[in-house]
Amino acid sequence: MDFSVLNEALASKSFNKIADICDNLMLQVAAEGVPFRDEWPFAIHLLGHIYIDDINSARFLWKSIPPAIKESQPEVVAAWKIGQKLWTRDYAGVYEAIRGFDWTQQTQVLVAAFSELYTKRMFELLQSAYSTISIQDAAQFLGMSEEDASNYVLGQGWTVDPTSRMITVTKQAIVKEQKLDPGKLQRLTEYVFHLEH
Amino acid sequence: MNSVEGLVNQIQGLSTTASDVLSLQNLLKQADDSLHAESTRLLPFLDQLDPSKHSLGYLYFLEACTAGPVTKEQAGSYVLMIARFITSCIAEQIRLAPDKFITVCKRFKDQVLLLEEPLRGVAPMLTAIRKLQSSSEHLTALHPEFLLLCLLSRCYKAGLSILEEDVFEVDQPRDLFLFCYYGGMISIGKKWFRKALELLHNVVTAPMSTINAIAVEAFKKYILVSLIHHGQRNLKNLCQPYIELANSYSNGKIADIETYVEANKDKFESDNNLGLVKQAVSSMYKRNIQRLTQTYLTLSLQDIANRVQLNSPKEAEMHVLQMIKDGEIYATINQKDGMVRFLEDPEQYKTCEMIEHIDSSIQRLMTLSKKLNGLDELMSCDPLYLLKAGRERQRFDFDDFDNVPQRFNI
Repeated sequence: MDFSVLNEALASKSFNKIADICDNLMLQVAAEGVPFRDEWPFAIHLLGHIYIDDINSARFLWKSIPPAIKESQPEVVAAWKIGQKLWTRDYAGVYEAIRGFDWTQQTQVLVAAFSELYTKRMFELLQSAYSTISIQDAAQFLGMSEEDASNYVLGQGWTVDPTSRMITVTKQAIVKEQKLDPGKLQRLTEYVFHLEH
Repeated sequence: MNSVEGLVNQIQGLSTTASDVLSLQNLLKQADDSLHAESTRLLPFLDQLDPSKHSLGYLYFLEACTAGPVTKEQAGSYVLMIARFITSCIAEQIRLAPDKFITVCKRFKDQVLLLEEPLRGVAPMLTAIRKLQSSSEHLTALHPEFLLLCLLSRCYKAGLSILEEDVFEVDQPRDLFLFCYYGGMISIGKKWFRKALELLHNVVTAPMSTINAIAVEAFKKYILVSLIHHGQRNLKNLCQPYIELANSYSNGKIADIETYVEANKDKFESDNNLGLVKQAVSSMYKRNIQRLTQTYLTLSLQDIANRVQLNSPKEAEMHVLQMIKDGEIYATINQKDGMVRFLEDPEQYKTCEMIEHIDSSIQRLMTLSKKLNGLDELMSCDPLYLLKAGRERQRFDFDDFDNVPQRFNI
């Protein structure tokens, strides 16, 4: 089995491509009738899906892994645990699952990258969904201690009230690309003209 | 045996130019019966043919070879052979004998399932579809087989590329039914409920002279997905428990619907729909929360919990958070005061992405419109149609000048 494309992607940190690479490779190898499951990098494959937030695919992949492999490869089980926490929306549990295992070197790179991405996603979620939130809850969502969480959000421009232990969220105004291509406007005008005649 | 040898030679000689291949096809058609008669002895001859050059001949031999009953041991080698044939064959040649190609691919699917390894069939079946199709709008008999393999091997993502294509030409109605039903199931697996509804709707509303089993099963799932996606239910009466589920859903009381589900659990489970039913029930919480946004500007978490029958304000907060994350609601949570404020949809329809979206939708509609016009013109020239239309008109009088003749002699 030729894993060179996969290894390249890992080396160049193109983590969002890992799921597709693994999927396609698996289909090809299966079509050749080669028994591949014992050597397949299921942990990386699962984490690839988790990285791009495709928990559905991670779930189906987990279901298709033979029980013998689940018993003999604890890293695969640990990788799925992260997916499971995401699936059940145990936001704080995800961090526990990430930190609760001693990952092999190759997997560690992917896990670390996911952890960073996940914290960022959680922060953006808090920003869009909350106007005020307790330091305690914020710490859980961000997987940090209460002090670290306070410092983190302060660094992002939010305000913290130490007496009430409450954080006030400052929303970033998202500036969307508004520059209109005149060609598009032209096209829309043509459509309307066309429809009226 | 001699005639088989001779045939092999002819295949080798006549597979290069298009006109040669056509004459070869005639020869093969005539030899088909005798090939089938010798089916057990054909295997070694396949080694003398190159599937990437002698595709048509190889196909005939392969089809005759695999015609009889197949043991599990044989299946292993056949599967590999067929997979390699599919990958290397020339599309133009196999399209001359589409029925044979379809037969071989269907046997491939059967054998892959016999070996209990549906994953092996996914990539080759997709290749087979691409080689058989005359265009990406052409639905072949292999489409549903491919989706079935995706479902059984849980490679839902692989099925998506096929589902996203627009279908315009169909060979057999049954292909369409199965394609839409399996496609609906794959979409459900990926939680694309809108796509699932579209596909299941096609099954349920397609013209059929008698009710078929596929449509019944599709309808059951359609009701459930409809509840999850729209919160509404639609028509008909072949699936009593599902209709009643839908009725109790629209009453909005969680406790009632949970009792009903518990009471009828076995029926839902035997239809393999229990998972969907559970999703429908949990979607009720969402529905109820969404209803609140229409009445209130702000509401306390405790109030939400009470109205939606959740156990605590914290649970209400988690539900609202999830809905905000999934884009099902626009709101912000204020933990300090324990309140939720409901907001307006921030979409202003002013951005570049929105224009792109509108643009591509209009283009698609214009293409579709042209296609339908073309079909309409073709139909209005069709003698059978004109005959029927002419017969149904009244005898016209002189002031009734009309272009449709009363009798159309062919």
